[in-house]
Amino acid sequence: MFKDLFYILVFPGFAFLSLFALAAEFYDRKLYARLQNRVGPPWFQPLADFIKLCAKEDVIPEAANQNIFKVMPVFVLASVVTASFYIPLWNNTALLSFNGDVIVVLYLLTIPTLGFFVGGWYSSSLFARLGSVRTITQLFTYEVPLFMGILASALLADTWSLSELVSFYSQHGWLWLCNFVGFAVCLLALLGKLEKTPFDIPEAETEIVAGSFTEYSGRLLAFLRLSTDIEMIVGSALLAAVFLPFSFNLGPGLGFILFISKVMFIVSLLSLARTVAARLRLDQMITFCWKILTPLALLQVFINLILKAKLIR
Amino acid sequence: MSTVSNIVNWARIKSPWLLHFNTGACNACDIEIIAALTPRYDLERFGIQLKGTPRHADILVCSGPVTRQIEDRLVRIYEQMPEPKFVIAVGTCSCTGGVFKGCYNVKAGIDSAIPVAAYIPGCPASPKAIIDGVVKLLSSLKEK
Ligand code: SF4
Repeated sequence: MFKDLFYILVFPGFAFLSLFALAAEFYDRKLYARLQNRVGPPWFQPLADFIKLCAKEDVIPEAANQNIFKVMPVFVLASVVTASFYIPLWNNTALLSFNGDVIVVLYLLTIPTLGFFVGGWYSSSLFARLGSVRTITQLFTYEVPLFMGILASALLADTWSLSELVSFYSQHGWLWLCNFVGFAVCLLALLGKLEKTPFDIPEAETEIVAGSFTEYSGRLLAFLRLSTDIEMIVGSALLAAVFLPFSFNLGPGLGFILFISKVMFIVSLLSLARTVAARLRLDQMITFCWKILTPLALLQVFINLILKAKLIR
Repeated sequence: MSTVSNIVNWARIKSPWLLHFNTGACNACDIEIIAALTPRYDLERFGIQLKGTPRHADILVCSGPVTRQIEDRLVRIYEQMPEPKFVIAVGTCSCTGGVFKGCYNVKAGIDSAIPVAAYIPGCPASPKAIIDGVVKLLSSLKEK
């Protein structure tokens, strides 16, 4: 009982993830600033933002559906924290694992997008509704290549469990390098999932103010921002587990440092993409995802099928 | 209690988010405000970010005199911002009405419509003056 509570609330649950997420947001913003030749925010910036938002007044629009508006941020936060339990941290086994948890993690990571959609829709502001519609349109474009890329590597490992997938790859030396195409595809799709430039179409602040977050303020906004940060590290940790599955059998300490550096490596790739690219239009993104990313993900599936036929023989 | 309020006050000073609103300026002050937000001056050093919606903003940065047409909208935007909130008037026009004072379509400075926390004069106010004004407003919060 106490052990479970500890897992949920402290490590690797809420407390650890929040701290790690704030640190990752700082790292992302600082790297972004340095790449633009700026000084960038001080290290405590995400924490100060969080505390300030928590201390601000909560405004709930009269026209909004009160309950859904208030529940959505908590719902989103809970789903991303739950997803983290299925991802292996420093060793090959996650806290919870069963055959099929890859699918569960992927769907748990879809809930935030749906949460933003529902929350934005029920805040009944025009900008929020436009943002919600864009969020859900975007969901249909990046989700397919992301799923195919991750499931392609599960196909090669012949398992639907993340923990077994990681131990399969760590036993097979350099086999994970064959998933390179899938890694690139999933990285781009993850950018879309996290609604970061060049795929930040749903929050495009120059067009539709702040997308589905337009009406959120105070504590609710603080939790929404925290959950997007946690989504970023959980998504990166998922990619790190699937595509960079080497662990070298280090102990908990060193292995944990390796895990953190893998996640940070993926976060840096995301910030790099954010710096070099400008925002696409929605139709350009749909074309890109369906005509380039999806065929590439299919290519990865074919490569893995051929590899698997060879391996079995 | 006092530690908590100290922490909250610290967070407020370190993370002011701006909302920029043109109440009828000749556009020169707006160009200077945008210039202050570019990487050259890098306001993110102070945690300052430009936000698109009044719900997220802490500081309303107004430029220009209050025209009769914009008055209602200015008050509405001010009321949409969650507490605590501050208003900064950028440019001589928004401090007093400036060259537009006495025009048939213009009321006066921003303070004729909503309470103002800091005045930054200049025609137009230079980015350095704007940053200085914002930092002074933030350090005045520290003393409270
Ligand atoms: S203060 Fe000068 S530059 Fe600024 S809006 Fe007024 S006239 Fe234009």
